[in-house]
Amino acid sequence: MPEDNSVIDFQSVNKFFYLQHQKTLKELVDAVFRRKKTLERVHALKNVSFTVKKGETVGIVGNNGAGKSTLLTMIAGVSSPTSGDVSVTGRISPLIELGAGFHPELTGRENIYLNGVILGIKENEIKNNIGNIIDFSELQLRFIDMPVKHYSSGMYMRLAFSVAVFTNPDILLVDEILAVGDVAFQHKCLDRMEQFKRQGVTIIFVSHNLATVGQFCNRVIYLKQGAVAYDGEVNQGIAIYKSDVHEL
Amino acid sequence: MTFIKYWSLLKHLTSREIKARYKQSFLGFLWIVLNPFCQMLIMSFVFSHILRISNLGVPYPIFIYAGLLPWIFFQNSLSNAMSNLVENASLVKKVYFPREILILSTLLAKVFDFFLSATVFILLLLYFQVKVSALWPLFLVIFAIQFLFTYGLSLLLSLGNLFYRDVQYLFNLVLTVWFYLTPVLYATEFFPVRYRWIFKFNPMSVFINAYREVILSQGQINWGSLGIGLLLAVVVYVVSFTIFKKMEGTFADVV
Repeated sequence: MPEDNSVIDFQSVNKFFYLQHQKTLKELVDAVFRRKKTLERVHALKNVSFTVKKGETVGIVGNNGAGKSTLLTMIAGVSSPTSGDVSVTGRISPLIELGAGFHPELTGRENIYLNGVILGIKENEIKNNIGNIIDFSELQLRFIDMPVKHYSSGMYMRLAFSVAVFTNPDILLVDEILAVGDVAFQHKCLDRMEQFKRQGVTIIFVSHNLATVGQFCNRVIYLKQGAVAYDGEVNQGIAIYKSDVHEL
Repeated sequence: MTFIKYWSLLKHLTSREIKARYKQSFLGFLWIVLNPFCQMLIMSFVFSHILRISNLGVPYPIFIYAGLLPWIFFQNSLSNAMSNLVENASLVKKVYFPREILILSTLLAKVFDFFLSATVFILLLLYFQVKVSALWPLFLVIFAIQFLFTYGLSLLLSLGNLFYRDVQYLFNLVLTVWFYLTPVLYATEFFPVRYRWIFKFNPMSVFINAYREVILSQGQINWGSLGIGLLLAVVVYVVSFTIFKKMEGTFADVV
């Protein structure tokens, strides 16, 4: 039964939101007097339906503004659909904008705990894994009890990634994460994701790097202006996307 | 239920707020204590030496402190909570957890401040040899009600500030006016009788009077107005929480 092992299910999902052009009262008053637009209704996702089964690795491609990030926020559960149904089962770990939950004044170790609980790991699990997390990050031990504001951006990123990969997720959301960091660490991250793949973790991979998508994913969803333009085999999906880009 | 499930998140977010501030400055925790203390010194000087207020039953510094500490808790909670969702934009956009946890953690950090600065109040009580009412533990009940009221208002204001950043500036102005309409510096008896009804509908005034009643045995405890305070707190909380949860799914789109 294919329905049984579906972990992400989008049924005719529409998402509208209002782009607020003014964030302050001054701007708003100004805009009203000049008869400028104050609110712009954006149709970010148009009747999107798809199902992802357990263990699939799905690459999401499309131009900027095609709705890729919106799609991810809805899988992550932080944004709700305007109409339609989204159902997601299992523990989700977003490999988020690195170190979103980090506080510069806290030490590396304190930030591991903080980021860990933000990502939904239990305190005990973090305690048991802290050695592995620090090892994976390749940070020297003298840095781990130093405030992260003294870290280089590379160290910062490695630590954040290390916490995220120890969340033991059912669904991994990856948004353009590998664009940063040195080549060696990028390889390590990809290796770790291959490992997740073998363990049967479902991975949603958003990237502009089509080569990585082609290599890593076994399915592609191509979003075009908020609608699904293609959903299926990887190489064909990438080819269609590429030919669309060339036409522009 | 939510709080049990997200207990460790709440704990770590709260300690982030507390630790970060402590590490940022040389004097650290001392500022939390010094700030209300200095305010109290200035107010005491102005009001007891220049304006010569008397007949409060207790030394003026004690009288002020009993009102100032809850007020500072209220004010700092709101101004920190208001900007909280905006400051945590990157989390709000990416990771799901109930958003009220963020607001609650800010408030809990302020509860920590409140009790820390209360130590000076205890020292002052000893110094002036003030006889404390036997009912003093009741202040915890009042504090719980005040907390609920502050929490409700924080939810609403942080939500508003997400859509228009002016909310925080506007509300800081409101807080200034609110401060003078609350008997922190003065006793309600100093107000003309025909205007005193204002205090009945100002929850902060109800709470501050109640603190003075239970700790400094200033008159009978006014259960009636405390009841109104509780009712207002519950209404503010329920309304704010409902709106907050209803809007939660759009935070990531607007932040």
